[in-house]
Amino acid sequence: MKRTIFLFFMLLPMVGLMAVGKFYKVNEIPMVHLQDRTRYVCNPDGVLSEMAVQQIDSILFALEEKTGIETLVVVVENIDGGDCFEFAYQLGKQNGVGKKGVDNGLVILLVRGERCVQFATGYGLEGDLPDAICKRIQERQMFPLLKQGYWDEGMLAGIRSVNNYLIDSEGWSSDGNKDENIDKELLVCFYVFLGCIVVLILIVYFSVRANRRCPHCKKSALKRSNSRLISRVNGLKTSEVVYVCTHCGHSVVRKEEEEDENYTGFGGGSLGGPFIFGGGRGGSFRGGGFSGGSFGGGSFGGGGAGGRF
Amino acid sequence: MKTICRIFAAVVACFCLSSCGYNTMTEKEEAVNKAWSNVENQYQRRSDLIPNLVNTVKGYARHEQSTLTAVLEARSKATQITVNAEELTPEKLKEYQAAQGQVTSALGKLLAITEAYPDLKANENFKELQAQLEGTENRISVERRNFNEVVGDYNTYIRKFPQNLMAGIFGFEKRAYFEAEAGSEKAPKVEF
Repeated sequence: MKRTIFLFFMLLPMVGLMAVGKFYKVNEIPMVHLQDRTRYVCNPDGVLSEMAVQQIDSILFALEEKTGIETLVVVVENIDGGDCFEFAYQLGKQNGVGKKGVDNGLVILLVRGERCVQFATGYGLEGDLPDAICKRIQERQMFPLLKQGYWDEGMLAGIRSVNNYLIDSEGWSSDGNKDENIDKELLVCFYVFLGCIVVLILIVYFSVRANRRCPHCKKSALKRSNSRLISRVNGLKTSEVVYVCTHCGHSVVRKEEEEDENYTGFGGGSLGGPFIFGGGRGGSFRGGGFSGGSFGGGSFGGGGAGGRF
Repeated sequence: MKTICRIFAAVVACFCLSSCGYNTMTEKEEAVNKAWSNVENQYQRRSDLIPNLVNTVKGYARHEQSTLTAVLEARSKATQITVNAEELTPEKLKEYQAAQGQVTSALGKLLAITEAYPDLKANENFKELQAQLEGTENRISVERRNFNEVVGDYNTYIRKFPQNLMAGIFGFEKRAYFEAEAGSEKAPKVEF
């Protein structure tokens, strides 16, 4: 009973907060990008619809693939302190949005309660996306829609314009950036591949060793001396093999199954032979599912623009 | 034997010097210099925007001559004061800050009067200048804060025990901070 009352009082403020809309601190914004590298929009209060979030995600994913620019979109009801510039800047700085060294991070913040939009550009993006352009996009594309409460449409329009501007803007060195990325990915692939091979070799080595281990004297000194065929079913050859230990002379009889080369029927896939792997390869290199992303540690210097609508 | 002793002493001295933080002090001092140049850059950037801004406003608001001259005067005064990163004494920094503060407040007044001119406010050029100015004010406040952080780091480091002896010998001195001036610590909020 006590516990129920306790729980009730624990839950009460949470319910209250949900109703009012939380006043987020910078580090309280759930970073969806870290769980899934194809997602960029943090929409904890559900200001935007699921549809809009997906559309924005796909635009921004394509943008990152093309130009390497890392974007973070945060849409919340209220923020602690109410300073949109500071909040957007800290979001970028604390999460390290953008690649380190290139500093090509972009933070787009919408706070509905403050009725403000703020872009924050990383050091390296200030030239590609000047403040004046940020402001122009906000005033022309976003504010007219946001004023009327079309949150999805306003954000989408703004992000589309930013995307178009960044892709169209001349002098954008997408090649250099992209090559570096590919190099890095190749390197990672190579290491994963190397690791897999080493693991395979170790497994083979140990399984051979375990097979040759004499149960009597524990030395890896078993030698195959004699074998007798027992059965031949569905392309599967079963034979009894006698091993003799060269160290202590102990003999072991094992039943072994093997694929029958002479078998011509169908069915009966290969089963594991004496080794652990008869068929099938272990280890996929790059999983099909989407893994968590990360921000590269870019730095911000107060670039970008913002305003109220 | 003697040479071995000398070599040994030299090696020990090398290790001592690096472990007493000479290298770190140099690095931190360099970081302070860099942060200072960033601050100066941003003030310079603002200063470069001013003539353009004044010209644009002039076309629409001829009657506000006094405000416009005030901005230009404050700007020319501020550009005369440059402080080398090596000689960042509290007095010099204060002087610099005061001069830039003059510019900030003159600009604030200028932007306030533009409220009365709807044509000006609708001017594309003016809008962009205004966005740039706003961005520059933001950058200034970021760089100032960054400078203070870096200086704080450097100052604490050179005043800690083993380093303070070395700092005295090699002439690493405490650097000054930007102080919060009434009303200028935060960039003026320009709302339209």
